[in-house]
Amino acid sequence: MVRAFVLLAPGGPAPCRVLYARTFGTPPGAGPGGPRQRLRRKEQLLVVARQVASQCQLLQASLGRPSSPQLPQLPDEPVSLQDAPGGVFQMSPGDPFPERVTVVWLSVLALAFALVCEPQENLSLAEITLRRLAPRLLLSLRLLGPGADVLLRPDAADGLLDRLLPHGQMLFLNERFLQAVDRELGLKVSR
Amino acid sequence: EAGPEAVDGLQRLHLSVAATKYPRKLDGKFVEQLQTVLCSPKSPEQIQVLCAAILREMSPCNDLVLSCDEIQDTKLLSLVSSVLLAQGSRGEVAAVGQRVVQGLERRLPEGQSARFLLPVLANVISLSPGSLTEEQTNVVSKKLADWLRYASIQQGMAQPSGGFFSSPRTKQPAPITEVDGAVATDFFTVLSVAQHYTQDQWLNVQAFSMLRNWLLCGLWPQEGCVSGTPLVPVPATPGRLLPPRERLRDKAFAYCQRLVEQSTRRPLKKEDGDLQKACLIEAVTIMDIICKQDSSYVCRAVSCLKILHSRICGDATYARALLPIAQLFLNHSKQAAVDSDAIYKHLFSDIPALLFHNPSLAFEFVQFCKDNSQLFTDSSSIFRQSFPNLFKFLAWNSPALISEFVDLLPFLLDPGTATEIFHLLLDLPCLTAALDIQLRAAALPVSEKAGADPAGKPATCLEAFHHPLYRSMFQYLLRSRAAPEDAPDSLVPLRQLLGSLAGSPRVVQCAETVPVLLELFFRVVAEFADGSLINQLVVLLLQRSDQLYDIPAFKEDVVLGSNLAMLCGLRPALVVELSTEILEFSGAVSNIQSKEAIFTHMAWAVGEFLSVSHDKRCTVEQITRFFETLEAVLFEITQLRPQASTPSCAPRAISVLMATLTKLAARSQDLIPRVSMFLSKMRTFVQSPAVTSVYCEEDLEEILIRATELMNLLKMPSVAQFVFTPPVASTRFQKEVNDSLPLALRMVTQLLEPAAGSMPV
Repeated sequence: MVRAFVLLAPGGPAPCRVLYARTFGTPPGAGPGGPRQRLRRKEQLLVVARQVASQCQLLQASLGRPSSPQLPQLPDEPVSLQDAPGGVFQMSPGDPFPERVTVVWLSVLALAFALVCEPQENLSLAEITLRRLAPRLLLSLRLLGPGADVLLRPDAADGLLDRLLPHGQMLFLNERFLQAVDRELGLKVSR
Repeated sequence: EAGPEAVDGLQRLHLSVAATKYPRKLDGKFVEQLQTVLCSPKSPEQIQVLCAAILREMSPCNDLVLSCDEIQDTKLLSLVSSVLLAQGSRGEVAAVGQRVVQGLERRLPEGQSARFLLPVLANVISLSPGSLTEEQTNVVSKKLADWLRYASIQQGMAQPSGGFFSSPRTKQPAPITEVDGAVATDFFTVLSVAQHYTQDQWLNVQAFSMLRNWLLCGLWPQEGCVSGTPLVPVPATPGRLLPPRERLRDKAFAYCQRLVEQSTRRPLKKEDGDLQKACLIEAVTIMDIICKQDSSYVCRAVSCLKILHSRICGDATYARALLPIAQLFLNHSKQAAVDSDAIYKHLFSDIPALLFHNPSLAFEFVQFCKDNSQLFTDSSSIFRQSFPNLFKFLAWNSPALISEFVDLLPFLLDPGTATEIFHLLLDLPCLTAALDIQLRAAALPVSEKAGADPAGKPATCLEAFHHPLYRSMFQYLLRSRAAPEDAPDSLVPLRQLLGSLAGSPRVVQCAETVPVLLELFFRVVAEFADGSLINQLVVLLLQRSDQLYDIPAFKEDVVLGSNLAMLCGLRPALVVELSTEILEFSGAVSNIQSKEAIFTHMAWAVGEFLSVSHDKRCTVEQITRFFETLEAVLFEITQLRPQASTPSCAPRAISVLMATLTKLAARSQDLIPRVSMFLSKMRTFVQSPAVTSVYCEEDLEEILIRATELMNLLKMPSVAQFVFTPPVASTRFQKEVNDSLPLALRMVTQLLEPAAGSMPV
């Protein structure tokens, strides 16, 4: 299962920012209750985001790419995920989650998408899921255009996650099933 | 009521709640209203989603009165569950679980789909494995088995669009197809293709998606999410259905076998190829779990996977699937009495060399090694012998894999591999550069490959790759297996050649990981190394200290000096045993400049350990020889008028040399007059104009103070001997000794030169 999904701006010189984050359930008895639980959740996700940003910057450097890529001219231009850098790393127990987690991430232009997975999760499927979420989020949240739309449209992000990652459950959807999902969501995704 | 302004308002509310990590208090009545709106059937979906998002964002929430008991709409139930499961309460999780199973058990109202309930259930058992009763898990297992096996094998119908032109004829439903377009001849799976899908086909997808989790955490009895608690399988009685748990395993296994067959078909849509591989990995993993739970499946699994392995082992795009296959064989092949060595050999010898540059494979491969670390304890095994291949993953993907290798390295180290791994670690950035060239050489068109002129010198690294001068060095660096005897005499030419790549980001990132690994290396080796290995490592340390890849920060960060001192501390006798090598090293004045840290630590070690109390074989001649060698170096670097050829060095080196000479003199008291005279000249040295321009005032003062202290100590030879020859029993590391020595010196100095009014008469 996926414990959390994070959409972040890795920054470059600027510090990284979490633009949207969704956790899928809170393990009972895992820690303090009340407002501290919420604080802990927020901070854990920020730690993940920072680590993703750091890995992303290092990978961009090793590939010889500039760390702050240019946005495309037209907001509707289809974004190619062919060369989108991505990676996977592990975070040890206690840092920041009580149990070990594996983070799979993908970077598209100036943004990064990450899935925080339980150990032994199917990482191939996680990568596929990210590659499906990214363009659809970019599309429905109009992330490439000006304005901080994503922060004001959690419903659009939630709607996508409810179909492609319901309750943190990754789905083995072949292309036809994916088309059916896009139809349900009213999305026109370029193929 | 629920117009666009409401949407806008809720969105802004969500932002203000989410934007801060500190608690935002919302009015209790308002929270109640949010919940009411959420559950009201009149609310538009967007508003419901926003209310749920706000409530989740505020979790845990004291004012929650939400309950899923009354909700009939499955989509809404899923939404409300997302809020309840965010509370972190075991009771809430269990309540959601009960309600969902109830929803699955009963016949759902018209238009409702169970499709939205299964992910909720998966989340429930993942958060709190024991929250369902045995009866409930049996209900779910039975349904899952049915959905997996008996989904419709005909395509669904498009939603009727209605309208004037819709055709009144009922079209014949078409059969489902495979991903390669062939008509399917067996039951429906996630790799079945249709234009439109039926509800039960959706349930098939959901069921498989949660299957692994359910088998691990959902089956009864359960003590937490243990991977494969071996439960006693209930044999089938003829004429009767298997019990739910066993029946699910049976259907699940058949499903996985079908996926294995489907996953090597050539897909019409390229993207389906990725899913095929993911399905294959999942199928093999599930088979492994089933085999652990019921060993009667092992034979079938093994024979199925042997065939699969021979089909995919030559295809690099299926490489990631080789790992779960190998894992299943590791877990069960003993039982099936099957020889799986060929599988492991292919995995460890060929795959890393081919696919080190694939970051996902690299990660999963290293995980595999960590998960099966017991394999590495057998030093002759293929696993252990393949460590050069494993390091390729790290060399190429350093930032992502360094922490994994910190965990893995201890398992690779033993007396047989230590020296080879030592060299490998120091050459790790070189390996990165070599791998880069290997990749580029492989990408060249064939015509260009043969272009190099063997007689001349290669102009570029790329040309050098095939050039006879360098070929064997490249081959050694890029070897797949441990080969201590095949090491070429020197890799120096290769390192120099690769110098042009020393600035490449990937190489630099790799270089940054080496110091950490070296520290770990020495820490682990110190625990098992015997005398001969320690000696070997010291000699190598001295040799390699100037044979490092030329990356600016690399040479400084690689702290060989302190580790050298540590090894000497472990085995002081080596100072005597390796006196030839150490004398050679210490006598080369250039070393004090180019390898200052090591030189300083070596000099310190000589002073500390060259004594009869550490090794009975230490003779007066040896002490004198060391003394004279170091004295010559100190003389060279403390000339009053340094020439251009005089090496410059840190003041600390001077201090250590002085201290060492004093220590040696304390043990062979004939030398005392020579040292004393030398030390007395230090005042002139620090005051000489040529010297004051090179060193700063504090440093010179420190040198003078130290020289004075040492001189005073030598005025009381028996005390000096005591201070400088601590009992052998104390095996504290040098830091403590270094710290206590200045203190001892100062005490003695104060005794000898009492400051006015501070000492008792």
